[in-house]
Amino acid sequence: MDFEQLYELYWEKIFRLCMGFVNDYATAQDLAQETFIIVWEKQDTFRNEANIGTWIFRIASNNCLRQIEKQKRIIKTDLPPNLAEERSHSLEPQILFLYKCITDLPETDRIIISLELEDVKQAEIAKIVGLSEANVRVKIHRIKEKLTKKFKENGQR
Amino acid sequence: MDNDNIDFKNLWKQQIVSKPNLEEFMVQLNKFKKAGLKTYWITNAVLALTSVFLVCIWVFYQPQFTSTKIGLVLTILTMVVYFVVYNRLLKPSLYVGVVQSNQNYVQGLITIKKKQQFMQSTMLSLYFGFLTVGICLYMYEYTRFMSPVTTMVVYGLTIAWSALNWLYIRPKQMKKQQLIIDELITKSKEIRVDSVDDEME
Repeated sequence: MDFEQLYELYWEKIFRLCMGFVNDYATAQDLAQETFIIVWEKQDTFRNEANIGTWIFRIASNNCLRQIEKQKRIIKTDLPPNLAEERSHSLEPQILFLYKCITDLPETDRIIISLELEDVKQAEIAKIVGLSEANVRVKIHRIKEKLTKKFKENGQR
Repeated sequence: MDNDNIDFKNLWKQQIVSKPNLEEFMVQLNKFKKAGLKTYWITNAVLALTSVFLVCIWVFYQPQFTSTKIGLVLTILTMVVYFVVYNRLLKPSLYVGVVQSNQNYVQGLITIKKKQQFMQSTMLSLYFGFLTVGICLYMYEYTRFMSPVTTMVVYGLTIAWSALNWLYIRPKQMKKQQLIIDELITKSKEIRVDSVDDEME
């Protein structure tokens, strides 16, 4: 698979993962862009040791985790400031609430649930995060419970 | 609890995503590469110009005292060593271990950060120490012909500048590094504690 195909296939998934992590449109856009810069730089080192999805999601989630280390973002996107806000206003409250709830979770949980919602297999999630599969299963169950409870409390059903 | 009534996957995928087209992305990629090169060249140009400036002082002012020459050499060496180390060892790499699992990656980051912290605190101490000694030795020849009051003012200002670096800038840099390490360690513990909790159930 060449870079263009990867970009087309994974941009949206990676963007949503970053959005679940930071719940900020511009930052998520920056994080997604950084992820693909790393993918571009690292593409020659990928040797089918994992499937390409696992590989890209690892890079993206590690890049999110590394956020704290960066004082400044490497790249600032040129999105006008109001545009990001307008985008969020046009979304349904339920979607906004879901992303907000996910961002409130601990960092690893954010990654796990985002991957689960992207239909990544639990065995792959375990490989990305570095936990056992059983562990991931329990976590996903708990996180979904938490989210459902929050939705109920907030009358979002 | 029944989760089936809320279709989280469906909600999740309705998030609006703006995808820059590939050409736009490549423009950003090239900007990023150029920005990295620019920093590299600026750092090295500053180093080269400072060294040339100090060598010019040597050539044009022909210092007589050995202390002045030692001072100049010490100052140039200090800067060269600092910039080389800073460029090569302290430069945080965007890519180290980024394809590993999250748990290994965070662990790896902690190790790197600790190494960097040690290098940086040692290097900063050596840098400011040698620079101060170098400048003081260099000034000795020229302050000898000044009045005692002027000499005291010149040395006083130099030492005050060193003290500011030593007591304010150096600890501030070290504290910044420590904060990053502390947060990374907390993060790593969170991952591990969470997994231990789950295993025990």
